Amino acid sequence: MGRYISRQLASIIPTILLSIVLNFMLLHAAPGDPARVMAGKDNPSEEQIEAIRKSLGLDQPLPVQFWKYVKELAQGNLGQSITYKQPVFDLIMQRLPATLLLTVTSAVLALSIGTLLGVIAAQKSGRPVDSALSFSNYALFAIPSFWLGLIMIVIFSSKLGWLPTSGMRTVRADYTGWRDKLDVLQHLVLPVATLALVQIPIYFRITRASVQLQQREDYVTTFRATGIPEPRVFRRYALRNALLPTVTVFGLGLGFVFTGAALVEIVFAWPGIGRLTLDAVFRRDYPLLLGVYLVLAIAVSVAVLLTDIVYALLDPRIRLR
Amino acid sequence: MTESVPLLELQHLGVTYRTDRGQVSAVDDVSLQVPMGASIGLVGESGSGKSTIAMAILRLLPPNARVDGAVLVNGIDLTKQPDRRLDREWRWRQLAIVFQKSLSALSPVHRIGVQMHDVLRTHEPDLTESQRKDRIEGVLAAVHLPARVLRSYPFELSGGMMQRTMIALGLVCNPPFVIFDEATTALDVITQSQILGEIQRLKEEFDLTTMVISHDVGVINATTDIVAVLYAGQLMEVAPKRQFFTAPRHPYSQALIASVPRLRGTKERITGIPGSLPDLAHPPGGCRFAPRCPHATPACMEHTPPLIQIAPGHMVRCTEFSMKADQDVTA
Amino acid sequence: MAESLLTNEAAVLPTAPRRESRIRAFWRPFVASRMGPIGLGILICVALCALLAGVIAPDGPFKLGAPRLIGPGEQGHLLGTDHLGRDMLAQLVYGARVSLTIGLVAASISLFVGVVIGSVAGYFGGWVDLVLSRLTDMFLIIPAFFLIIVVVATLGSGIGYVMVVIGLTAWPTSARLMRAQTLSLRERTFIQALRALGESGPRILFRHIVPNGIQPLIANASLDIASAILIEAGLSFIGLGDPNKATWGRMIFDGRTTILTAWWASVLPGIAIIVTVLGFYLVGDGISYVLSPRSRKVSK
Repeated sequence: MGRYISRQLASIIPTILLSIVLNFMLLHAAPGDPARVMAGKDNPSEEQIEAIRKSLGLDQPLPVQFWKYVKELAQGNLGQSITYKQPVFDLIMQRLPATLLLTVTSAVLALSIGTLLGVIAAQKSGRPVDSALSFSNYALFAIPSFWLGLIMIVIFSSKLGWLPTSGMRTVRADYTGWRDKLDVLQHLVLPVATLALVQIPIYFRITRASVQLQQREDYVTTFRATGIPEPRVFRRYALRNALLPTVTVFGLGLGFVFTGAALVEIVFAWPGIGRLTLDAVFRRDYPLLLGVYLVLAIAVSVAVLLTDIVYALLDPRIRLR
Repeated sequence: MTESVPLLELQHLGVTYRTDRGQVSAVDDVSLQVPMGASIGLVGESGSGKSTIAMAILRLLPPNARVDGAVLVNGIDLTKQPDRRLDREWRWRQLAIVFQKSLSALSPVHRIGVQMHDVLRTHEPDLTESQRKDRIEGVLAAVHLPARVLRSYPFELSGGMMQRTMIALGLVCNPPFVIFDEATTALDVITQSQILGEIQRLKEEFDLTTMVISHDVGVINATTDIVAVLYAGQLMEVAPKRQFFTAPRHPYSQALIASVPRLRGTKERITGIPGSLPDLAHPPGGCRFAPRCPHATPACMEHTPPLIQIAPGHMVRCTEFSMKADQDVTA
Repeated sequence: MAESLLTNEAAVLPTAPRRESRIRAFWRPFVASRMGPIGLGILICVALCALLAGVIAPDGPFKLGAPRLIGPGEQGHLLGTDHLGRDMLAQLVYGARVSLTIGLVAASISLFVGVVIGSVAGYFGGWVDLVLSRLTDMFLIIPAFFLIIVVVATLGSGIGYVMVVIGLTAWPTSARLMRAQTLSLRERTFIQALRALGESGPRILFRHIVPNGIQPLIANASLDIASAILIEAGLSFIGLGDPNKATWGRMIFDGRTTILTAWWASVLPGIAIIVTVLGFYLVGDGISYVLSPRSRKVSK
């Protein structure tokens, strides 16, 4: 098992590194000059721009810049944000918890609901319940997340007034302790609901297909021949076999939802890294952008690694070969 | 003198599948009697309906299958029993089956011991843990497998070992009747011969009545007393083994036996049986074997010959014999 | 259930059956899937709107009107107008053109790249496979939407860039599918025979393996089209879409500030997206249903 983990780790690191290199090259190949942007709008002189360029180290050849970047990375320094004039690391760490709260909660919720519905649909395969669920599932999958967010706000916030419109906390209320937690929870409901709804179809689909596949497996026939009733065969054996692909998909799904959350964060003004990213893109804030990208790539890779480990725990064929 | 009730009796058993190509007649009018302690072999090509019969006996056919006729075990018709009763009283306790694909026959993510204990506990819940352990290790010993197999997962065992495990599983509730459905087909010849030998030994040791299903006449020869030949879902010939191999009557039986090359003696050409099974969605009008039969006559194509007895325990479905029987009657 | 024990159901791929029976062999199960024909119906309607946009809305989508939002059904605007007085219906049908174009082009790129990479990796194996599979995994793990944002923001938000970038981030799934298909087809007897006859690798690959293995990728392509439309909508919503085109995403973006008073400006384009994307999903589902005979036999 330990060998398996180290093997997986070993394959993830090059992937992360390659992504960083790709991103670095991409940004520096792009038109737009960060030094000029930083110099401001008041017709800066060429010398001023050059000075800024020198201070940022942008006059060095690319490989040198890259090497400098990697060195600082190793020290935990992600550089300084051009826009916010703060260390990138700090900026990201300020916003990361909010994003994690949103993404992980919605992912777990979607996994539970989607899997449950998928199992139901598979067991009633071909019957009206299954058709209705499958069709609704496709419809749900077709809804753009940001549009759904808008609709949620209109219905539940404006028209019904049940829940707050945006943000993570009530402004200027300064709650503490459990009052604060409750406040966050209230603000959390709509964005989590939105993000969960658009993820449910993924888990529904894979679970339904997987259960259907297991129902046709030879061991099901064996157990039926031994006189074990169908529901028990399903609960004790088929279910565990069927959930394995769902576990794999969850890992990838967690990875994707980190980026998918960006749109929802914008609609709900949720103070996560989604907003941060967008600002960085528009203002060519390279250090910030690279920093966010790196964190995301690591987050995705960690999510995938964790799921691989959980999968290995559940499937002896992977563990023991 | 009253005859004892046969352990298994099939009465005009038929299985029809509803598919989007129409009705497919997979098994038609199969009647057999298997006395206690006997061993019957069901032989035929792939697709002849042999496994379908096994599934029909255990009522494990898919929902689009319709079963006609009766399946009597100790005189009781299983086709009329509710599924739950079959689970509790007949499946595995009276009838067990060993399948061909043993490698995938158990759940791949659960240990073998767990699965075997589960089966035993289902049928004999009053046994204590250690009594179950003794019984399971007992059947494993009977098939020459070590107890450590119980801690393994299916993928860790070889084909031969899995097959033995499935045989052991079949015996764990001491059923009087065991079906071996192509149980050795997936194995190499050496392992196959070992397993066949084991089956013979177990038959005596556990006093079993067996049904051996195979496409391989050699396997049938090694393990059975009565041979039943199936073609396109119909019985073509049923005979005691000696008669079958010394004097087969049906052209198909003859062709089957002839297609096995001889180990000793003069070298001959290998013969096959040209042609292939008819489309069972639209079975031919007369004898189902007629299109491939070297002795077919126009009469064969028109009427389906009935299964008639030509000697004690020897039945044949062939126009040649049914016509002669008619002549004898009218004469 | 028992069927798997009874018959040897090896996948049978037609190597070159007659035209008519191939179409019929596809059409009957497609209709039986129930979802497929519904999706196809939806797509035909959308396509018609796109093709007939010039007829339905002869003034084009950019004709400015009074800068106020007019509700649906009022003043001759069947579906109302946006905040610049532009007719909603016109924007919707012209938007259909954009969405369909983006979807089809992006999915084609994704399919092409995926097929090439997947088949080459699967066929030649060895270090070629190793490198290409690593590449595929890398692109799979990279947060695609993020990468698209970065590329579009730095290189330009013209519709061409958008289509190409979406295509170049969506290919890993196709590549994996194609690789799996290639691996199993490579061992088939007819391929072995061709190799024995001396056919060259690339010829075997592109003339025999790809055409025979591509079927599941067609179903996947339908999903790629759907996802491309959704991604483009997301890009437009954050302001990175093509400013010169009337896209549904941009319409939602324009209408979001006034959503409480003028719901139609944002809601209608959203519905358009949902319906179109749903159409592609259902068609994809229908195609996979046709391609998996096993799942067809069990029910009913």
